[in-house]
Amino acid sequence: MTIKNRKIFGQVLFILIAFYLDGLMKWAFLNNMNRGTVIILPQLMLMAIVMLTMRIEDRRQLIIYGVVFGVIYDSYYYGIIGLYTVLLPLLMVGIDHFRFLLIKNNMGYDLSIYFLALTFLQSGIYLLEKLLQQTSTDALDFITFTLGPTLLWNILVFFLLYVPLAKLSEWLVKYRRDK
Amino acid sequence: MQKFFSNKKLIILMILIIVTFGLLAITVNIRDKKNTPPVVQQVGNDVVSVVGGVFAYPTNAVKNATSEFSDLYNTYSENKRLKERIGELAQNQAKLEVVQDENKKLKQELKLNSTLTDYSTVNASVLSRSPSSWQNYLTINRGTTSGIKKNMPVMSGKGLIGRIVEADKISSKVELISTNNELNDKFAAEIIGNNKNITGVVSRYDSDTGDLVMENVNSTKDIKKGQSVITSGLGGLTPRGLYIGKVYGIKKDNYGMTNSVYITPAAELRNFTVVTVIKSSVHGEE
Repeated sequence: MTIKNRKIFGQVLFILIAFYLDGLMKWAFLNNMNRGTVIILPQLMLMAIVMLTMRIEDRRQLIIYGVVFGVIYDSYYYGIIGLYTVLLPLLMVGIDHFRFLLIKNNMGYDLSIYFLALTFLQSGIYLLEKLLQQTSTDALDFITFTLGPTLLWNILVFFLLYVPLAKLSEWLVKYRRDK
Repeated sequence: MQKFFSNKKLIILMILIIVTFGLLAITVNIRDKKNTPPVVQQVGNDVVSVVGGVFAYPTNAVKNATSEFSDLYNTYSENKRLKERIGELAQNQAKLEVVQDENKKLKQELKLNSTLTDYSTVNASVLSRSPSSWQNYLTINRGTTSGIKKNMPVMSGKGLIGRIVEADKISSKVELISTNNELNDKFAAEIIGNNKNITGVVSRYDSDTGDLVMENVNSTKDIKKGQSVITSGLGGLTPRGLYIGKVYGIKKDNYGMTNSVYITPAAELRNFTVVTVIKSSVHGEE
């Protein structure tokens, strides 16, 4: 296996672990089923995706990642295909498109991009589900009880995990070309 | 014509929108109308769930350990209380066995093969919960190969927690009873009274109070706080006698026309890692 393939394998593994952690986090720690109106959605896969998107230059690879992991996410967690499947690649291409605005990767940039990405994704999902009548929540309730807490929790986790995540994704993307 | 299709980005956008809504509409329709999703999706979900098991078992172990730790706190007072109940329980058990036996014989006498109260069970462990606000699903590690079908009710240790919404080959999704969703399925329920049972439909979940709401109740005259609510077995794949919870109170709607009964769910929807899927022996329509 060439180094490039090995790195790609590593990237896929990285995203997959984050994918499973999303469901397990929700199940083990944020499992407010009986009581409470506040809904926190862990979005660790989005963290991995954003960190990698900020560092991978190849747009085709980004779109493939987005579609593949979007389909898996939709099918396994939502049971409806078309939410992450469309929003995730769109988001990754968006980040890639506005990369020229970013001078270098640092925590501030990564954090704000993640913030925007999360807002875009959750709002997009809300709008699509509302259109398809999968939810009856009104917009204000969505912002107060879902989007707000979700942003707060995820930003906090992102902040805490930033250094290892950044090191790891840097290592997973950068390599010297082998002969 | 040349000019009309010249903007590549516009066309991509157009196709993207069509594909999005097409996919969403098709999958929502399949979920609501078909018994199982397409084979490709089933196999995909199964593969993902098998690998997910590797991560889920340690998590469940930790979850069990922490809930045991918190149980340890209340052990002393609980033990005292439970000791008083034990004698009662043994008596009841003996009585239950006799009654069950009698029931079986009477059924044979009447040539009743299976009634609404007969069911068999499948145990499954939970793999994950969907990180989604409106699709309140648990993924469990049993599927159609274990005889699980769509719409079967699911219990945890203490009471009803939801029903199967998607059955794949070796995994399935459970929609929790606490889903506040216009389109979710409803449970036919009854309140056990002293002389007369009152029927109704558990139709929504009040997320502010954490109570289930039972509507279409025929009369609220005899309902008292603390009475037990069970499934009535009317319609569908739910057998009779699954415990839902206890009556908490009655509220009139804004116009004073209908009454809703608020029920505190029995199932602690938090501390469990294993669920039981109920297979009714009587097959309804579907």
